[in-house]
Amino acid sequence: MKNRWNRREFLQKTSAATLAAMAASAPLPSLLSGCTKKIGQTNGTADTVILLWMAGGMAHTETFDPKRYTPFETGMEGNRVLSTFKSVPTVLDGIHFSEGLESIGKVMDKGTLIRSYVAADLGHILHSRHQYHWHTCYEPPQTVAAPHIGAWIAKELGPKNPVIPAFIDIGQRFTVGEAEELKAFHTAGFLGNEYGPFFIPDPSQGLESVRPPVGMDAKRFERRNQLYNDLISNGPMGEFGSDYQKESLKRSMEQAYMLLNSPEAKAFNLTTEPKESYDIYNTGRFGLGCLLAKRLTQQGARFISVTTEYEPFFGWDTHENGHTRLEGMKKMIDGPVAQLIKDLDQSGHLDRTLIILASEFSRDMMVEGRPDAKVQEQVNQPEILSDMKFYGMHRHFTDGCSILMFGGGIKRGFVYGKTADERPCKTIENPVKIDGIHQTIYHALSIAPDTQYEIEKRPFYTTPDGKGKAVMDLLA
Amino acid sequence: MQETTETFWLWQLLGRLHPLIVHFPIGLLCVALLLEIVDWRRKSTELRAGIKALVWIGAGSSVLAAALGLILANQEEYGGDTVVVHQWSGIATMALAVGAVWALRTERQSLFRSLLFMTVGGVTVAGHYGALLTHGEDYISGVLPFNKSSEGEPSGSTNFTFASTNQPLTEKQIEDLNIEVRSILAHNCYSCHSATKTKGELRLDQKDLIFKGGEHGPIIVAGNPGKSELIRRITLPVGHKEAMPTKGKRLSEKDVAILEYWIKQGAPWPSGAEKSIYRVAALEPRMPELPAATAELTQPIDRLTNAYFQKNKITWKKLVDDRTYIRRVYLDVVGLLPKPEEIQAFEADNRPDKREILVRSLLNRNEDYAQHWLTFWNDALRNDYSGTGYITKGRYDITKWLYTSLKTNKPYNLFVKELISPTKESEGFIKGIKWRGTINASQRTEMQAAQNVAQVFLGLNLKCASCHDSFISDWKLEDAYAFANIFADTTLEIHRCDKPTGKLAGRRVLFKELGEIKETPVTEERLKELAEFLVQPKDGRLYRTLVNRVWAQLMGRGIVEPVDMMDNEPWSQDLLDWLASDFVANGYDIKKLMYAILTSKTYQLPSIGVKDAGLLTSSNFVFEGMVRRRLTAEQFADAVSVAFNPVYGDSALEFKRLPENIQKEVPFSRASLVKNDPFLTALGRPNRETVTTSRNSQANLLQALELTNGTKFNEAIKKGAKIWQAKYPSSELLVKELYKKSLGREPLPKELNVAQKIVGPKPTVEGIEDLVWAISIHPEFQLIY
Repeated sequence: MKNRWNRREFLQKTSAATLAAMAASAPLPSLLSGCTKKIGQTNGTADTVILLWMAGGMAHTETFDPKRYTPFETGMEGNRVLSTFKSVPTVLDGIHFSEGLESIGKVMDKGTLIRSYVAADLGHILHSRHQYHWHTCYEPPQTVAAPHIGAWIAKELGPKNPVIPAFIDIGQRFTVGEAEELKAFHTAGFLGNEYGPFFIPDPSQGLESVRPPVGMDAKRFERRNQLYNDLISNGPMGEFGSDYQKESLKRSMEQAYMLLNSPEAKAFNLTTEPKESYDIYNTGRFGLGCLLAKRLTQQGARFISVTTEYEPFFGWDTHENGHTRLEGMKKMIDGPVAQLIKDLDQSGHLDRTLIILASEFSRDMMVEGRPDAKVQEQVNQPEILSDMKFYGMHRHFTDGCSILMFGGGIKRGFVYGKTADERPCKTIENPVKIDGIHQTIYHALSIAPDTQYEIEKRPFYTTPDGKGKAVMDLLA
Repeated sequence: MQETTETFWLWQLLGRLHPLIVHFPIGLLCVALLLEIVDWRRKSTELRAGIKALVWIGAGSSVLAAALGLILANQEEYGGDTVVVHQWSGIATMALAVGAVWALRTERQSLFRSLLFMTVGGVTVAGHYGALLTHGEDYISGVLPFNKSSEGEPSGSTNFTFASTNQPLTEKQIEDLNIEVRSILAHNCYSCHSATKTKGELRLDQKDLIFKGGEHGPIIVAGNPGKSELIRRITLPVGHKEAMPTKGKRLSEKDVAILEYWIKQGAPWPSGAEKSIYRVAALEPRMPELPAATAELTQPIDRLTNAYFQKNKITWKKLVDDRTYIRRVYLDVVGLLPKPEEIQAFEADNRPDKREILVRSLLNRNEDYAQHWLTFWNDALRNDYSGTGYITKGRYDITKWLYTSLKTNKPYNLFVKELISPTKESEGFIKGIKWRGTINASQRTEMQAAQNVAQVFLGLNLKCASCHDSFISDWKLEDAYAFANIFADTTLEIHRCDKPTGKLAGRRVLFKELGEIKETPVTEERLKELAEFLVQPKDGRLYRTLVNRVWAQLMGRGIVEPVDMMDNEPWSQDLLDWLASDFVANGYDIKKLMYAILTSKTYQLPSIGVKDAGLLTSSNFVFEGMVRRRLTAEQFADAVSVAFNPVYGDSALEFKRLPENIQKEVPFSRASLVKNDPFLTALGRPNRETVTTSRNSQANLLQALELTNGTKFNEAIKKGAKIWQAKYPSSELLVKELYKKSLGREPLPKELNVAQKIVGPKPTVEGIEDLVWAISIHPEFQLIY
């Protein structure tokens, strides 16, 4: 028997008293644990998911799966270059990361490194399309709008803490290139807007989204809400009886009011973070996004995505100057990611928080697509490197990518899969595909692998045809 | 491992030994406990030797059972909580048993007893969950008297009666009985016994294969149900290992009786073409005879509704008052709130036909009408001002064409023709969305065209059939390809579930009655022909689909629901047929159709509330009047703009894609003409990559947050408040004016009182802001009632 909170019902009853009553009548928790399950807790090993999104294609050989280092020389042969950084040891024996990721290397005893993620081919590289595929597990176009993995989780589990939206998306703006394509998967699709993302494009402005409108103090906010209720109760609308639109509107307004008034909303205010900690996280919007994710997790968030933000030719999307730009990218992620793991571990949240760091695909200096199924090249990469700007991983590589996972039932200090040590540095052991990743996440959350809804009379599964299988080897 | 490989047979064998081995610890440990209790009661140790042996073997076998169990769990497709509970309780039991052995060895008497006791407890729990896995969740509860109702509902739809047992069946009766039998088989058996899955080598989806039987031979002995394996299997007690269906609900008694009766009659199968087991709506138009008019009810729609009401014992209620009526028609025709002076004038008007006059004048406001209905058609034709595919030329917008078509009230047959056989301006609809790279065969642009044309114009779901033969209708993969080929420059190779089959399907319209497409390499010529075929008056389906969509928009619920499944049963076939036929007779004039609906007494009935959104599409819906709706995102933004202050500035208009002189035609920047933004998205404007033909009017938290502190909305209110403050020196005046403009009425004294308190004796900007906010969230503002 699954203790599956229906989110709608859940939200209907957000007062503490009702929650207590609901907890009392909840289906019996696992017979073995013998103790009462907390509200929002799943039957699995994780209650919260944080997705750290390396948008734009993060080269595995330059980050978590470094190969032989070849320093730059003018006129060198590109084909000789596998990694443009030195390797540095991690806390795990024999496992090295690329230089610049030392901090994350030090927390690898708390997580799992997957070196064998294989992205889909899709016939041609298009970042937004591969990202769509990663986030929904479906290749666009689709006949119905496919939900984001965060929306599935929001739908199946509801919010962990009723006043924190179940699906929070931090850092992606939609004013940049491929914006509409990005919007196409940042959605709950056919599951309905209710389960869609709550956007916080700028984490330092996070508080704005969960507090009364700018310039409105708490007193006035309360008064305004009171006025709304008074006008309804004094108006003639009662004669219309009840209908779902009216009821859902009233209920939603109450929830919004509660959220904006809740003590938990303070978690969105990053300025209350101790300076020391704030400074470690403050590498820009991504770093602060990690900080916000930490704070929200501690207050009971369900699904949070933090992105380095996708914008064509920026971030991880290095079409030139790959080496130079990656120095910056590593600075952006290394401190905050490591700190997030440490902080959540210390506060005891890591055990039930599954953190995933991933990217839509990897990069390589020479191969576009997959070695045995190359696709049309999009980057002008010369064979001979006449200039430093050609030194880096500029082509899009789908056949070997790294993913990190921490907490929430994932093995600690574990490495899974392998890529070849010579070009093409492709997956040679334990390939993992996207439906396996999704199902592993669902498994940790105890969302049944065959979860599906009927849309236009057809079943639509969390992973296509309900076929994906969790990679059990990753789970402790 | 991600890539599943065939499991080594030995592991499989070992795994499957788990259910066998597991009985050792169960039996041995239970007996051990029993003996231990005897010893304990007798205060002796005479049984100790036996107990020792039992516990040792029991613990040993529990270790083995647990190991085998783990092997089994990893290779068979178990999922869900039962297996998890079973696994861990099993492992815990094993640990307890081993602990008991240890306690026994170290002679900790009382620890041993308690451990043994707990072990047996664990055995019980693990055993119970194990049994749930093998026998099903309702194995025990299923036989309890109060759970007996878990038997399935009858599957048939035509309610065949066994009246004529003694006489031979007529051809018609054979056909009815056969349909009934096939639909029972479809609903209960196809999931394991059809082309997709063929367990026991048995297929029940084709005549010859049913009679051929499965791996153990025939399953039907014509004339003798008692000897028919089919009947034996479905009547075995639940839990019997040969009982059918193995999963899911049992067949109802009625279903079983029908199958028995059918076999007894010699399992007759009608000669000639098989009739569909799915409901298939008639293609051809039909003009029903109109029920007699009464003194009050003269208009055809009302006469048909009256007949429906009589049949369903519903009485006519008093029609809505002028104020409610004018608000409704304004929102429905032009998407705007009526101004207070318009309401006043309308209420004061004494002409008996003033409602007709009002509707006519609204329908004549061509620009306002186009600006409102653009939203509906943008959703349906998935036309947007920005969007997926622009970077690869995947999507072309058709806004200019669409806006002009609506403004000029283009006859619907022409409208459809221009979309299917398009000019440069209107080609966006059938062009489909293209993402860079390879795509699933069922999603190639030609197939998208086929799907979208079928869905939008014919209310027909071709999406299943674009990948494989449909399970929910009679449409076959080949039909979908033949239809898609009309849109294709080359003949597409049929792909089944994205795998090429090497077969070709030719080119065919979905309904062969509509005509045969001439073979020509020129796609444009084919499309022209297809367009002509589809808009013929004899294609009743096209027009029923359209009138049903318009009805649903105006009445909150279609005559058929969902509106994209026109094979479903309408709540009044006569009304649907009449509307469609009248529409054709009236020159495909959508405005005339609207006029007829909006001036009917049926439309003027008081609105109905629905407690749960799901009830709206339920098949036993009973029509009693318009169903209350919520303003769409665009209507809401426009309502705030009209009643208070424009939400969008001039620059928000999507000039590039709109007709050149648009600014002269808009009263203010209407929301239908601006790009999608977080505010509109939250309120329900869809991403328009796929066809959307109805919007959800249920509110949710994200929406409430956007309304509570969203920048767009609060800025608009703030700006307006300043203007209003300057305009109205007294709060009474201001509150009254705001009520009139937004709700179309004066405030009640109590409301005035509450509102004045907030606004202050001399209106403050903050007070005005708060009042406007509260009113705009008010259900009376948000609903079309």
